[in-house]
This record gives sequence, C-alpha cells and structure tokens, in this order.
Amino acid sequence: MLRGPVLLLSLVVVVFSVLILTQAPARSASNTVSTNPSDIAAGAVLFEVHCQSCHGYQGKGGVVAGAPALVNVGAAAADFYLTTGRMPLNSPSNEALRHHPAFTDAQIQELDAYVNALPQITGQGTAGPTIPSPEPLCSVDQQKSPTSVDLATQDPGCVTLSEGQQLYAVNCAQCHQAAGSGGMLSGGNVIPTLHNSNLIQAYEAPLIGPKPMPIFSQLSHAQLSAIAQYVQYLKKPSNPGGFGISGFGPVAEGFFGILVGFVLLWFASRMIGNRG
Amino acid sequence: MSNIDDELTHPGPAETTAGADGHVPASSVRLPFGRNPRHFGIDPSDPWPADVPMDQDDTHWRFENDPKGAKRAERRIAACWTVTLLASIAVCVVYVTGANNQLAGLCYGLAFGGLGVGMILWARDLLPGHEVTASRGHHEVSSEGYRVAVAESFSRGTDAIARRPFVFKILAPAAGLLGLGTLFGPVASLGPRPHTDLYKTKWGKGTRAVDQDGNPIKPTDLPVNGILTVFPEGYMDDALSPTLLINVGDSDFKVQPQRAGWNLQGPYGNIVAFSKICTHAACPASLYNVQRHQLICPCHQSTFDVLDDCRPVFGPAPRSLAQLQISTNSDGYIISVSDYTRAGGGPVGPGFWNRG
Amino acid sequence: MSTTQERAAAQKRFALAKSGLDTVDERFASSKWLVSALDKIFPDHWSFMVGEIAMDSLIILIATGIYLALFYVPSSTDVVYAPTSGHVYLPLVGQHMSEAYQSVINLSFDVRFGLIMRQAHHWAALIFLAAVFFHMCRIFFTGAFRKPREINWIIGLALWQIVSLEGFTGYSLPDDLLSGTGIRVIYSIVQSIPLVGTWLAYALWGGRFPGSTFIPRLFVIHEFLFPLAIVGLLTAHLMILWHQKHTDFPGPGKTETNIRGSRVWPQYAMKAGGLMMLTASVTFLLAGFVQINPVWLYGPYTTYTVSAGSQPDWYLGWLDGSVRLWPHWEFRSFGHEIPNPFFPGLLIPSILFGIMFAWPWIDKWIYKDYGPHNLLDRPRDKPFRTGVGVAAGMFFTDLTLACATDLLANNLHVPFERLIEVLQYGVFVGPIAGFVVAYWTCLHLQRTDAHPIRRPVGGIIYRTASGGYHTVGDVHHDDHGHDDGHGDHGHGGPHSDTPGGQSPRHDAPTPEPVAGD
Repeated sequence: MLRGPVLLLSLVVVVFSVLILTQAPARSASNTVSTNPSDIAAGAVLFEVHCQSCHGYQGKGGVVAGAPALVNVGAAAADFYLTTGRMPLNSPSNEALRHHPAFTDAQIQELDAYVNALPQITGQGTAGPTIPSPEPLCSVDQQKSPTSVDLATQDPGCVTLSEGQQLYAVNCAQCHQAAGSGGMLSGGNVIPTLHNSNLIQAYEAPLIGPKPMPIFSQLSHAQLSAIAQYVQYLKKPSNPGGFGISGFGPVAEGFFGILVGFVLLWFASRMIGNRG
Repeated sequence: MSNIDDELTHPGPAETTAGADGHVPASSVRLPFGRNPRHFGIDPSDPWPADVPMDQDDTHWRFENDPKGAKRAERRIAACWTVTLLASIAVCVVYVTGANNQLAGLCYGLAFGGLGVGMILWARDLLPGHEVTASRGHHEVSSEGYRVAVAESFSRGTDAIARRPFVFKILAPAAGLLGLGTLFGPVASLGPRPHTDLYKTKWGKGTRAVDQDGNPIKPTDLPVNGILTVFPEGYMDDALSPTLLINVGDSDFKVQPQRAGWNLQGPYGNIVAFSKICTHAACPASLYNVQRHQLICPCHQSTFDVLDDCRPVFGPAPRSLAQLQISTNSDGYIISVSDYTRAGGGPVGPGFWNRG
Repeated sequence: MSTTQERAAAQKRFALAKSGLDTVDERFASSKWLVSALDKIFPDHWSFMVGEIAMDSLIILIATGIYLALFYVPSSTDVVYAPTSGHVYLPLVGQHMSEAYQSVINLSFDVRFGLIMRQAHHWAALIFLAAVFFHMCRIFFTGAFRKPREINWIIGLALWQIVSLEGFTGYSLPDDLLSGTGIRVIYSIVQSIPLVGTWLAYALWGGRFPGSTFIPRLFVIHEFLFPLAIVGLLTAHLMILWHQKHTDFPGPGKTETNIRGSRVWPQYAMKAGGLMMLTASVTFLLAGFVQINPVWLYGPYTTYTVSAGSQPDWYLGWLDGSVRLWPHWEFRSFGHEIPNPFFPGLLIPSILFGIMFAWPWIDKWIYKDYGPHNLLDRPRDKPFRTGVGVAAGMFFTDLTLACATDLLANNLHVPFERLIEVLQYGVFVGPIAGFVVAYWTCLHLQRTDAHPIRRPVGGIIYRTASGGYHTVGDVHHDDHGHDDGHGDHGHGGPHSDTPGGQSPRHDAPTPEPVAGD
C-alpha cells in the first residue's frame, strides 16, 4: 500500500521492457540447381529411401492417393517442400506444415537436382519451374522516385516494396493477413505465417501453389520477386510505434489495452481508493 | 444553533483553545470543524440528524504528529515531481533529436506518472482528509408545498388547452408535419435514390476482364488452381464489379441448369467466373482453399463451394455467389457476355429489401 | 511547533482567501454552492474510481483528437503518395490512395510526435471503453441504477452506445484496408434494414458504396456530432450525479440519509487529479511502446482487397461476433426480403439495448421494490439480478470471442467451423451456465458471508450437533449486525421506503443465520 504507486510505475516500465522482443533472423538459401550426375545419383538414392513409397518409382506417382507424381513439378517445388520441412510426410493424409527440414542443405540440393532431372530420366514431359533467383530490391533512392513500369510485361531488374505491397494486398493479404501473420482456411487447413519464410521460399510458394494454396504462376518473374521482397520486409516491418504485437490487429490490441492499460489503472485505483 | 453564522465568519481567538502554557496546537487554529452543520450538508435551521455524528474532524493529516515521516513524505513527493520536471525537459530534447516514438512515450509516461504518483502521495501523506459522514440533505424530494405549486403553475397551460381543445388538435399534427416537412427535403438531398442501381455492375456485353494493372486476360494466363481478381475494363473502383476467375482444371465442376457454356474450357483447364462480393456483408470472399475448392470470406467465415455454384456451405452467407457468363473475344481475351443476371444468381452482393 | 506567529499567519491566509472568495461571491452569490462543492463527499471505494478513469481517458481523447484533427484531411480524393521530403514510408511510394489515408501516413511518419498522438488517441479509446464497461457492470451488479438514479442509468447506456459508435467512426477515418472493410460491413447492415435500408444507405453514403462523400461526412460525425452528444450527455450524467450524490456500499453507521467518504477539497481532488495523470501516463507509455493500428501495413482501402483477421476494435467485437454466429437465415416473400445481417446486426442489439434501458423498471417489478435507494446492494444479496448480469456478461464474452474466431482457430489449431459451432451453442449454454453458477455462488456467499475471492481470515468453524457449521470470529462477520449493514436480508432495512418491499420474492429463501444451526 505504502509503496504502491511507485511500484506501479516500475511495473509499467518492466512490462514494456519485456515486450520489446526481436525475432530470429531468416535462413539463407541457395538458388542453383545442380545438373551434376553425381548429385542426381545421390538424390536418386535419397529419393528411393524417403520419397518413393508415396510418390512412386522415379516420381511417377500413382502409389498412394493424394501423393502426386513429381515428374513435371520442377526443382522449385522440391526445394520449397524440402526446405520448409513440409516433406517428407508420415502419411499423405496429413497436412503438409512447416517443420524443421528433415534433410541437410546438401541433401536438399541433391534431391532438387534429381527432381529437376526426372523429365530426362523418365522421358516424360518437361521440367517445371526451377529454383528462382528473385530480383533484388531497388535502392532507396530509386524506390523514393519510382518510374512507372508494368511489372507484368517488363522486368526493370529491381523491384520496389511499393510494387510488392500492392501485389501482396490483392493476391496474398486475404489469406496470409496484411502483416503476414497467417490465418485459417476452411476445414482446418492452416494458413501459415510468412514470418518464417526466406526470400526464395516466398517466391516459390506462389509459383508452385502448395495446396491448399492456389497457384499464382500467372504473375511475372518481376511480380513474384516484388511479392517475395515485400514478404521479407514483413518479417521486420517498420514498427515506429513500438512493439508490433505481430500485426495481429484489433483483437490483440484490444486485449492489450484491457489487460495492460486498463488493469494497471484498475490497480492504481485500488491503491488510491478505499478497499473496504 | 443561533450563532452558526457567527461561528462561520468569525474564527476569532475566542474559539481557539490555547493550552495552559500558551501553546496553540496547529490543528486548532481554525474553528473546530465538527460543529458547523454547513460542512455536513445540514441546513442550519434543521436539527442535527441522528445519523451524522457530531464533532467529526477531518482537518488532520497522516504525518501530523510525525515530523520525520512528514519530512520523508515531502522528499518522496519532491522526487516524483523532479522526475516530471526532468522528463518534461527530456521530451523536448527527444523532439529536437529525431522524435523517437519510444523515447517520447517514455518521457511522457514518466512526466505524467511522476506528477500523478506525487499528487497521490501528497494527498495521502500531507493533505488533510479523513472519512467523514454527512447528511444527504434535502436533495431527495421537494416539499409538498413546492410540488403543489409547480402543478398549479403547469395547470395554467393545460387548463387553457382544455378550455379550447380544438386548437390543440390542429396544433399537434401541424407541428408533427412541420417537423417531417422540414426534414424531408434536406434528408432526401443527402443521396440519390437507389432506383435499380444495386442490380447493376459495370459488366456488360463484351466487356473485357482486366487484372489490377489493367491488363486484359487470356484463358491461358491462368494456371490450373489459379485464382485472379478481375474488373470490367475501366471500372476498377466499382464496388460491386470485382470478380474472381478461377481455373478449376479437371475438377468435377457442376454446370448449373441454364448455365451451359458460361465457363471457359480448353487445354488450359476450366475457367469459371464468380462475384468476389460476399452475399452476406459484401466483403471480398477471396480466400481460396484449393484442396476443397472452397472460397472463404475473411470477415465472417462464410464458405462457398466453388464446384457447386459457389453455394454457401458454412457461415452466415444466405445465398450463392453470383456467376458471371464469360467468353473470349476475337483477340482471345476474356470478356463478359452480359452483366450478372438473375439466372446467374444476381444481383451480386448482400441482400436488400427489394431484392426479393 | 506552533507559535503565535504561525497563528497570525494562518489568520492572514484565511483573510486573504476570504477576500478573494468574497469578490467572487459579490458577483455570483457563490458561497453557498461553493461550500457544498468543496465539502462534497465522495465515497472513496476503489470501484468508484473506474468511472473517473473513463472521464480521464475522454479528456485525453479530446486533447489528442483536437491535435490529430489539425492534420487529418477528410477527403476521398485520389492522390499518389509521392513525398519529396521528410520521412517517407517506402512500401507505399507511388501508390494511389485517398487524401485521408495519405494524411494519416504523413501524420504517422513525417509529423514529429504525430504518431505518438495518434497512438495515444487510439489506446485511450480502448481504455476508455474498458472503463465505461467496467463502470457499467459496477452500477448494474450493485443496484446503483435504482430509484432515483434510473435516468442516469439511461444516460449512461446512451453514452456507452454513442461512445462505441464514436470509436468505430474513428477506426474508420484513416481509410486504410481495415477501416474500409469495416465501413463496408456497416453499409451492408444499413442496407439490410427492412423497407428503408437501401434508401438510408444511399442517403448516408451519398450513393453507392464507397462514394466520395462518406469520408467528409464521417469526419463531421466523429469530430462534431458524436463528441457534442458525448460531452452533452456526460455533463448531464455528472450534474445528475452531483445533485443526487453518490450511492454507497452499506456499512457501519451508513444509512439511506447520510453519506460517508472524503471531502473533495483538497485530498480527494488531489487523488483524482493524480489518477488522471496516471491514466495519461499509462496511455502514453502504451502509445510509446506498443504499436497500435499500423495503417501503413494494411495499405490503402480498395473495394476488391481484404485482409485476413479483419475485426473491429474490441468494444464492437460482440456486434461482429453476433453477425458471425447468426446462421444463414434470411426471409423472403412477396418480392421482398429481410436480409441476413439485419437480425444479428440490428435486431438482436436493439432487443438487448431495450432490455438494458428498461432494466431499472424490470428490476423494480421483479423485486417489488419501488422505493428510492442510496445504499447499494451487495451482489450476493440479489442473486437473480447478479445471475442476469453474469448471463449477459457470458453472452457478450461469447460474442466477443466469436469476432476473433479466425485468430483463435489459428492459435488453438482447431478448424474455425468447430469453433463457431461451439460459440453458437455457447450463446445459449454460456448465459444459462453463468446464471446458474452466479446464482448458486450468491447463495453460498450469503450463507458463508465470505469474500468472493479472499479466504476468510481468522474464523473458527464449529460443527454443531445437528451437523451444520457455524463460523465464529471471522472478520467479515464483524461488519454484520449493524442495523443498516445489509438491508436486504429479507427483513427490510429500517430505511426501506416501502414496507416489506424488499422481500426477495424471486430470490431463493433467505438463509437463516448460521448460528441457528
């Protein structure tokens, strides 16, 4: 009672200090697909052990319902599913969610090489998209005075966050939320947060459309790059106002306002007032 | 109680109680508080109520008889207000040196907080004030005399009306209609009449579908399991027109009766067009679950089955999303064949009274 | 130590103060009123301070709001964000947006201290509504709305509604993706009103959504119309409170005709001022350290975009939740329809508000108690009313949770469909369970006379021959036995204006004193 108001003030300071947390930096990823026969052979061995039981001999599918053929999916798909730990799955009926990758970076590169080579090996179809090399962000000065470029038809060699924001708003925000914090689809299908993705993954996902997400390959290379760059920006957006509450929006803000703001004042009034 | 007024206005030396040694306790310089009925909400002409104790005294303060405690309290309060003083200077420094939001918040918080804590400590430790009991006074009800008086005054008016009731019977509807008449014009001018506006979008015969950059779309642009928001060319801002093109591929899309050929089929897949505007509360229903071929509205979780007429399968939406009949023009671009029609489930968007 | 000099100084101060106050009195004959004002007694139970937190927040809102209005541009005119100097928010450069949104972005990034004022304004609004809500609960559960305070209950409810709408209009002004989505839902709800909905929507918005006239109109509503109503009603609220004086909890020596507490001057005024400063402190600390409503992340509003997790601010969450939980019903016949959002968005709230407005009279009817009251009920002594209040609280909580179904589903890893179904059952189960539990708890607390949370201190429990229990020496018992302590124990307080009027007809039989065992 005696030290109440002073304690209150220090409590406020402590609470706010604890809240200012930072997030772990993102992993980097390589973006070349090896055509080296030894890598492909090593990938084939890994494939036989870890993938073939569902995706079939040489990735031709048809073994287990729900496990697609991989002949034409391309290295981008293999790379996305493996680097995000979505594959391998215990059962094709499980939802493919982000996990710690089951393979080392080198193993993933070998598997990418093998999947990339599947059209040649099987003699069927053509290879799907390869691992992308997203365009870099334009310099700050360039971004401050943008030139009007139609990214759908032209590739200016660098992209701006503004282009990314506009494409993100119309294509991604409805599911992944404006700040990339994720959400929920029907039937319990999860919309993951984008704060764990790296640049390559953020490009690959719309390119290949990992179900239940639709595919956005109608977007150009520059457009996908802009989205990927903006998604990277969302991991550490400009939060001049302070702790960002992960961009969860008004509900989280409301609980914060009540549980921190109002409750502190409630305690204050309890100390000031008579408790009889 | 006759000399109450005198007591109030003349705190003369007679009332102070000097001790035998000539010392006067600080607290008794003023008139003994408990004997002035005005301080307790009691009318001086009334007898002292039984539920208000006499001789209450709230002129005492916490550390009155503890000079050391008072000194400590003074220091505490001074420290709090020094925090305010410093923080108030600091906030100006923060402003000049870039106005960092966190530092500004900290300074403001400390400035207000120091002041507030100091005020509370001051009130608690050094300001006089004990709980006292007072009378609620005569606020409950007026005396019967006044109640009768006000009724009499009011009756002057009502009696006049009762004498000639006809004028009042005209006045009442006249005043009412005056109100309505005065409001009608200004309110009607607030906005246009809706007429059939809500039945229409900007789609029409041969309107090209364009994406958000204004580029027209060919069926081959949209991959299987792809989804694209399109607009009638030139009308990106129209709230009811945004439409979703979805390539459902070889999934089992149920063509509704009378809607054969409304979708585009070819080697690229099977492209269907549905209104993006939810039939519940008009949010863009645009979360597409490819695995289940469902569109979900992020506002209220209405869920629509794309393969079956975008029929609502969950949530508050009462109707299917309207389907737009699409085709391609001679250049191969996707166009609408007409505006949304009744046959396609239109008009689009949420319900309204005349929708029927 | 006191001396003659000190005495002289005190008399000199007194004379000085008096001559100053005399000067005022000669103009306004103010002394009679000022005595009552300075001597006015406030019961300083802590829960009475919460209304003050609301008022303090309102003052912060007005102060910061006036500042924000100096920068905000209420215009839907399309502009391209291309600042040439100052702080620039890169992800929006070159984008089309309304002038209103641009002004908020510039206020947040380019105007020094603009952001902290904006954030303080928003946090103060959230705290304001929390305080209003808590204050309202206190009034309800303690029966403070009873005669003669029914009118102030009604004014308070009206304030709650207007303040909620004021909050919503403020949330809608920045014209970002979130606020635009909110306005669109409201447009659909207005449009759903039978008979006049379409016309009303076209009148308010000046035509088809979104239209260019709505933002300026919203600004007038948020800056002028609602604040005027709030300040006007609050003035009435406080004047009535001042005139009628506070209610008070029953206690030793307290009666219906007296009032116990601290005088306004100087201690209580200083405490209240201190609380106001603490409210400002907490608001500005939040504003400095916790980001609220980052409109730059949501982006400018367009009619074809939307973000997952679009919710209103918490105080309107129950309304959004109601719209989410209502099934896919709507009524169509004779070429007309009553659209779906009308029922959960307008009809249900109207019924609820109707009940709340009528509650003082419903309460009178239930308890057959038509007399005036200045002493409060302990919630436990009115189990039925407390049960209704808890049921209403459960109802509001259920709906508020429903407005966050998408977020909760994501965090709890359950499909939102299941969550919505659970909350749909919860609309019925929650209030019933809440009522039963509250009712039972009240009876239990009546029997044991314990504090609802704290453990009874120092009581000795005896088991009697008949198997009952009997507590002796519990400190909470010490408050008992005073004639005015708890006038509702079935025997009617001595100051009850209606003889027998307080018989708890609809309550369970009043328990016999425990000693009777």
